[in-house]
Amino acid sequence: MRLDAPAIVDALAAEYVLGTLPARTRRRLTNLMRFNRGLADAVHAWEERLLPLAEGVAPVAPPSRVWAQIRERIGGAAASAQPRSIWESLGLWRGLAIVGLATALALAVVVLSPPVERPEQPLVVVLTGQDAKPALVASADRGGRTLLVTAVAPVEVAVDRTLELWALPAVGSPRSLGLIAPSGVARIALPERVDSALAGIPALAVSLEPRGGSPTGLPTGPVLFSGQIQRLY
Amino acid sequence: MAQGPRAREELKQVLASGSPNAMPEAASKQLEKSARLMELLARTALADQRAFAELYRLTAPHLYAVALRILRESAAAEEVLQESFVSVWNHAGTYVSAKSQPLTWLTSIVRNRCLDQLRRRELDTVTLDDEERDMSIANEEPSPLEMLLSGSDARAVRNCVELLDSNQKQAVALAFYRGLTHSQLSRHFRQPLGTVKSWVRRALERLKSCLDTAGVAR
Repeated sequence: MRLDAPAIVDALAAEYVLGTLPARTRRRLTNLMRFNRGLADAVHAWEERLLPLAEGVAPVAPPSRVWAQIRERIGGAAASAQPRSIWESLGLWRGLAIVGLATALALAVVVLSPPVERPEQPLVVVLTGQDAKPALVASADRGGRTLLVTAVAPVEVAVDRTLELWALPAVGSPRSLGLIAPSGVARIALPERVDSALAGIPALAVSLEPRGGSPTGLPTGPVLFSGQIQRLY
Repeated sequence: MAQGPRAREELKQVLASGSPNAMPEAASKQLEKSARLMELLARTALADQRAFAELYRLTAPHLYAVALRILRESAAAEEVLQESFVSVWNHAGTYVSAKSQPLTWLTSIVRNRCLDQLRRRELDTVTLDDEERDMSIANEEPSPLEMLLSGSDARAVRNCVELLDSNQKQAVALAFYRGLTHSQLSRHFRQPLGTVKSWVRRALERLKSCLDTAGVAR
């Protein structure tokens, strides 16, 4: 592998980061990087350029066993590895407006405990933006008919736009559940019990729509937030 | 993640203007988040398990999603996530010398492991199956191209991606989100290898000059 010309080094670094190189070339570059400062720097520069593209991927909560296994492998005081409290991590989101204690508690339930839910527990869906930061929480009693949506962080929406909540079925088109007022709070009446209304729905999403909601019955604007419905029963 | 270079740029402007209020709110939040992740990494390097747990909680959903896209198998993605975080626990100290933003650094660890595993797997299965052939066509999940054009915080790179022609965009999207090699891209597009290689090469050249002009990368 010729690595004497900066242009070649840069081109290889770019393809390395993009992911197009075959196994052998990847391995050789990985090894060379340890000794070749120029190559390592070029790879870093390309990571800075290209990896922001990974933000286009909607976050997916990993199964709780992954953390359990990591904790086991790093050994030590397993119990203390649990995040201390939700409040501690709120420093990260300073300025975040908690709407009511109920919301905070609902959030804490999701964040602190493994996503194990029993049918009698309320349904809680945390909707996050591209940055994996919680923005809205949708909650409901499974036997009830009302879905309560509250913003946990300020969401700015232009006056001629509206946030619309969608149920995303595993198969088929998104179904509108309703609009979210500029206050970031919505009480959405469902046509049937929550657990029936959301049966077969793995996720909820919020899109930005013209004022009054999507004119087509399907999302027309960008999806700003989404969240998985945890279902283990 | 784009907060890295962009936020640095904003920070530079703020420092130049001498007023912290000049910083756009979004950028200041990004900076804050980045700073928080850096702090957690630093504490992880000191074997602080609580910091490590929080680092996991804040970044794992994003990193897991990236791994899932490339590997297409939750078991494999879980394994990569596990290996990556064990590696982060053991090597958090080396982050200090890394030149990237924390999330970029974490993403690179996960992506590299994914790509290595994908390449190993392909030594056994050489051809793409039909599902993979059609993968740029949207089913219920966003296509690689849609992902390429979303990512609201990756504005600079996204703006530059918009300047690529459609073949270049598709090729970059499939390589980046699905880890397709040149020869897989060539089969996917049913185009000669040389043609596809030049699409990718030109796309990368254009991205670089566009981003460097925008003052994003060094």
